[in-house]
Amino acid sequence: MRRMSVNTKSPNGGARPLTSAAAGLTGKVVGSMLQRLFPTTSATGRALRLAGLTAGVTGSYAGYTLQRLFLGVEGRDRKRRSTHAKAGRQIRDELQLLRGPVMKLGQALSLHTDLVPEEVLAELTKLQMEAPGMHPSLALAQFKASLGRSPEEVFTRFDAEPFAAASLGQVHRAVMRDGTCAAVKIQYPGIRAAIENDFRLVRNLSLPVQASGHLPKLVLDEMESQIVAETDYVREADHIEFFHAGLKPLDFVVVPEVYRDWSTDRILTMSVVPGQHLDAFLAKHPSQRLRDLVGSRLLELFNFQVLILETLHADPHWGNYLFNDDGTIGLIDFGCVKRFGSAFVGWLRKGVLYPGRFDSPQFKQIVQKQFGSPGERLTPGAWRVITDFSERFYRKVYPPDPKEAERPFDFSDPGFLRDFLRAAGKLTRAKVSIPEYVFLTRAEMGLYTTLHRLKARVHTSAIVRRLLTASRKEDGSSRRP
Amino acid sequence: MSRTSHRTPPTGSRRALKKETTKSRIVAAALALFQVKGFDATTTKAIARKARVAEGTVFNYFPTKEDIALHFMEQEVEHAMATVRADVRLRKAPIEEKLFALVQTQLEFLAPHERFIGAAFVQALRPGSKLGLFSPSAQELQFHYLAFVQELVDEAIRRGELSAAGWWTPHVFWIYYLGILLYWLHDTSPGKQQTLAFLDRSLSIGVAVLRQR
Repeated sequence: MRRMSVNTKSPNGGARPLTSAAAGLTGKVVGSMLQRLFPTTSATGRALRLAGLTAGVTGSYAGYTLQRLFLGVEGRDRKRRSTHAKAGRQIRDELQLLRGPVMKLGQALSLHTDLVPEEVLAELTKLQMEAPGMHPSLALAQFKASLGRSPEEVFTRFDAEPFAAASLGQVHRAVMRDGTCAAVKIQYPGIRAAIENDFRLVRNLSLPVQASGHLPKLVLDEMESQIVAETDYVREADHIEFFHAGLKPLDFVVVPEVYRDWSTDRILTMSVVPGQHLDAFLAKHPSQRLRDLVGSRLLELFNFQVLILETLHADPHWGNYLFNDDGTIGLIDFGCVKRFGSAFVGWLRKGVLYPGRFDSPQFKQIVQKQFGSPGERLTPGAWRVITDFSERFYRKVYPPDPKEAERPFDFSDPGFLRDFLRAAGKLTRAKVSIPEYVFLTRAEMGLYTTLHRLKARVHTSAIVRRLLTASRKEDGSSRRP
Repeated sequence: MSRTSHRTPPTGSRRALKKETTKSRIVAAALALFQVKGFDATTTKAIARKARVAEGTVFNYFPTKEDIALHFMEQEVEHAMATVRADVRLRKAPIEEKLFALVQTQLEFLAPHERFIGAAFVQALRPGSKLGLFSPSAQELQFHYLAFVQELVDEAIRRGELSAAGWWTPHVFWIYYLGILLYWLHDTSPGKQQTLAFLDRSLSIGVAVLRQR
């Protein structure tokens, strides 16, 4: 764990102004003390560590704010960047230590490219692939405690060092008795209890926003049940098998195969999915053609899940997609899967390429059914925000007019992502936070961020139109697990 | 020539082997009975019957039931120390992982005899118990174990993992180990995973505290 230093020297070596040093120091000392005193295992310990993190980060920013008064423009900018970077590192380190849902929250934040400073984002992004691992002795002990046999008894070869990290576990390479290569996901021990403690804490801390209606209890309940469900690898194995069968029509998607004999609720043994994470894929400077192909396929994959399967692989961070040079896409980590109601998807299908006016009674009905809670009419504010969202974002990205849709949408334009994030934020402020919407928006945000990073050009409406036609032929509910 | 002169006289090693086998049979029988009937309710007669030896033979090897328990604990400590020493991968591992592996191996060894371990704890609190803190035999075992812990700590200091450690470090570790044992006995989570988590995190914190000294 990284410890905070209590250094009162400024970056250029001079002494800080006394007041700013004191402000920064107080927060840091309080934060550091709380962090040192309390371990991460108990509910109180975790709560106090979080409080320590907040105090520490607040201290850094308070110090920076006061120092700004005494620094020149250039110095101010340098200081701002170093403060962001330091806070980012500190947040990442603490979230990694706490693991569980708090780390999940950090991962969700890393998708908010518009809301989080660049330097903090750079650190949060690392959470996706650099979670601290269990040391080999702990991983082996957890495997044996769960399966009743040690990895040496089960596999021909087992790498004690993990090759990938997940927020709730880590993945090891193994070779099975028949020579097949396998990926073995091992869960951190005691993670479920840690999650329950975290949610108890989040519920208490978020009472004000719950009371104001900005974070409905329903949404918190949904989040908790989803994240707790992620700790059950038997359920995840069911999801993998569902997607393995359901995504067969998309021959460019690779879904792993589960080896049930060597899986439990805490161990998941599956086939190895080939591919690279987005950063590694982009580092090889793929051609525009390949980026367009991968982008189109990602968009098709997303809409196929929502419109045809009515079930979404809802953990959209970049670490869960693997990319290959032949344009195939590997899917990993099926812990978070959201099943939508057929009625919700039905209204979504009607609204997605809606060609008419947004003040028409037909569109109003679609919106009311899609976003309104049963028996409650949407507020005028919510109406305005949704209409604005449809006008400024969806109609631009998914033009309903087939002639206009001949041109691919260029996701390299940062403006569309900004519009999406702004509109999504306004929806939350307008208290339009039904559980389905929370997961859909989170997954969409992951999709659009990835498409933006790919700088892909995609025939969005053509893909969606094809899927809508297919969905009319299929009975979506027959595909559900 | 007498009839016996045709038989090969038992060599020292064969005799020792036979003795060892009998001893192991007695210990195995006692542990099975401790687990099923409990420590207090198990009689030496029952142990002898289960081990298929005469009751006097049991007394030849172990004057009391507590001696059987102590022998089992010696086996546990020897097994854990040998496992950690023999693990090539662990040689380069940080001190917290070595200590984790040591305690985890002990717990794995004890796992089939959980009920008996709980009873042994209570037994150790009785005045004059051979398993108690002030018993010379138990102390000898404790010091043997702590010497190994000190060995691991010294190695960590040599490798620059720790800057220094006080004379009290192994003794604190002993108290910590007893605490872990109690936690493990009360852990009802599947596969005792709460103990694994507690052991891992508490060792990380403990070693971090030592590093800061």
